[in-house]
Amino acid sequence: MKRSAAEIVTEYGPFPGVEAVHGVSYDGTHLWFASGDRLNAVDPANGKIARSLDVAAHAGTAFDGRHLFQIAEDRIQKIDAASGAVIGTIPAPGGGGDSGLAWAEGSLWVGQYRDRRIHQIDPDTGKILRTIESKRFVTGVTWVDGELWHGTWEGEDSDIRRIDPDTGKVLEQLDMPEGTMVSGLESDGGDRLFCGGGASGKVRAVRRPKRR
Amino acid sequence: MESLIIAAARALEAGDPLGALNRVALRNDAPSLALRGIAMAQLGDLAKAKTLLRSAARAFGPREAVARARCVVAEAEIALVSRELNWPPKALAAARTTLASHGDLANAAHAGHIEARRLLLLGRIDEAERTLAEIGAAPLPPASLVVRELVLAGIAIRRLKTQEARAALDRAGKAARQAGIAALVAEVESANLILNTPAARLIARGSEHPLLLGEVERLATSTALVVDTFHHVVRKQGVAISLGTRPVLFALARLLAQAWPADVSREALIAGAFQARHADESHRARLRVEIGRLRTQLEPLAKISATKQGFELAPRKTNDVLVLARPVEEKHAAVLAILADGEPWSSSALALALQMSARSVQRALDELARSNKVQSFGHGRARRWMTPPVPGFPTGLLLPTPLLKA
Repeated sequence: MKRSAAEIVTEYGPFPGVEAVHGVSYDGTHLWFASGDRLNAVDPANGKIARSLDVAAHAGTAFDGRHLFQIAEDRIQKIDAASGAVIGTIPAPGGGGDSGLAWAEGSLWVGQYRDRRIHQIDPDTGKILRTIESKRFVTGVTWVDGELWHGTWEGEDSDIRRIDPDTGKVLEQLDMPEGTMVSGLESDGGDRLFCGGGASGKVRAVRRPKRR
Repeated sequence: MESLIIAAARALEAGDPLGALNRVALRNDAPSLALRGIAMAQLGDLAKAKTLLRSAARAFGPREAVARARCVVAEAEIALVSRELNWPPKALAAARTTLASHGDLANAAHAGHIEARRLLLLGRIDEAERTLAEIGAAPLPPASLVVRELVLAGIAIRRLKTQEARAALDRAGKAARQAGIAALVAEVESANLILNTPAARLIARGSEHPLLLGEVERLATSTALVVDTFHHVVRKQGVAISLGTRPVLFALARLLAQAWPADVSREALIAGAFQARHADESHRARLRVEIGRLRTQLEPLAKISATKQGFELAPRKTNDVLVLARPVEEKHAAVLAILADGEPWSSSALALALQMSARSVQRALDELARSNKVQSFGHGRARRWMTPPVPGFPTGLLLPTPLLKA
């Protein structure tokens, strides 16, 4: 396992009227984050909120190319990114103990915080297809280049780790600076990982190490 | 963190404990237990709240020191509201340190506020003030500001500084409306009542009228000779003669002051000060002795002269004699005064606050209960006393939310 300190490239926020950042996602242009009763789109170039959708948004956020998915209470809402309308709902696998959310390869991936697990579920029905065990409380989840990354937050420590999707074994770990929490995780498809900063109200971009 | 926990915490923060309970009622993980505990406390079931918070503290893992400390603070607040004033202050101090060292300044401040409220209830006003000063001016969420200002108002009221008290209560009201929590607004309003309800009675030249706290305060600068039944002193401006340990002398001084400028007959003095129905020769002899003692005591402020039928008071360098008395005179006025805060008190907490023996407090409470002036509920050590009508449990449980948000 490779272990190193996380390199924070950029910090966005805190944003006016935002108490905490729960989930984060990226649609190729905007960085989306969940702040309780809103989903906010941030322009990564200037760090300003470009647009907000009024939807319940208590945990993870994901984007499938057309729709946003957002965990609220014990369900996952499917939201039309253009209009902001909730067009469908499926039960969340953790029954409300859910944290992070990611979209990859036709499935949704859901972190179940205190149960230290990640579920792969059917985005239409919510059926659990498989479950990966982690060693730490799971917050955000994301896939990039066939790598499964997830954020952890246990007690007062957070890190970002790449795990083997089959065994759950930790392959790589980036330790966040003390007091810096990871409440959500998303890749920009390149070498940046966006991390929700919990009650700090910030979103941070962390460099994803290059694969040798 | 977890979706439903965040939803429940947000509901709690918005003053909607039922909404919070709806979300976590059936869950038994540590954060749910803590949220349920706080919701139950806000709904008034303090016993249940305490149990839930204790289980929550146990259920949090060893790495979750902050979450655990928050549970301890919440439990301390419940103890305060239940008037369990001997709840271990060390545990609260330790939790406060943990929170501060992990950067949770809002909750650390809340822990400090609880400590200050406890000291205020115990009458340790200087210590309460010091504790508040330690918290400093860290930016606090509105709900926390309300508590801070309420404590400041409480300190000012006990020091008879009405303007300061009013200013603090105004700030508290503003913060309460900003927090948008109806229970807090109501609490500030009931604190305001203290300033607008007669705090004392003024007896002068045979007539009497009620006084507001502000008027009592102004009295302190008057040039009159004041017989103060709150503190058992006779004072004029800066000079105060304490008769706290001489109840008979104080009773005589008061009788003379109430009648002033008229004199008081020996019979009336004997009946009033010695509780004797018929004055006989031994009473008259005793009266002479006690008047002699009082004369010596009051020497700097007043003379006492004999008249044909009794005695009269002659204040020096002033033309005014006032008696400051409680609005309603009760045998157990001190106990009632404390219970007037509307909170449930244990007899041991009353004893602690009044610096009386537990036995005396118990006797007073039993007597007051027989005349329906106080009510109790619970049994054994859990027994609590309140003044009727029972105003329900306080709504003052002010856990600054994001108990779990971090």
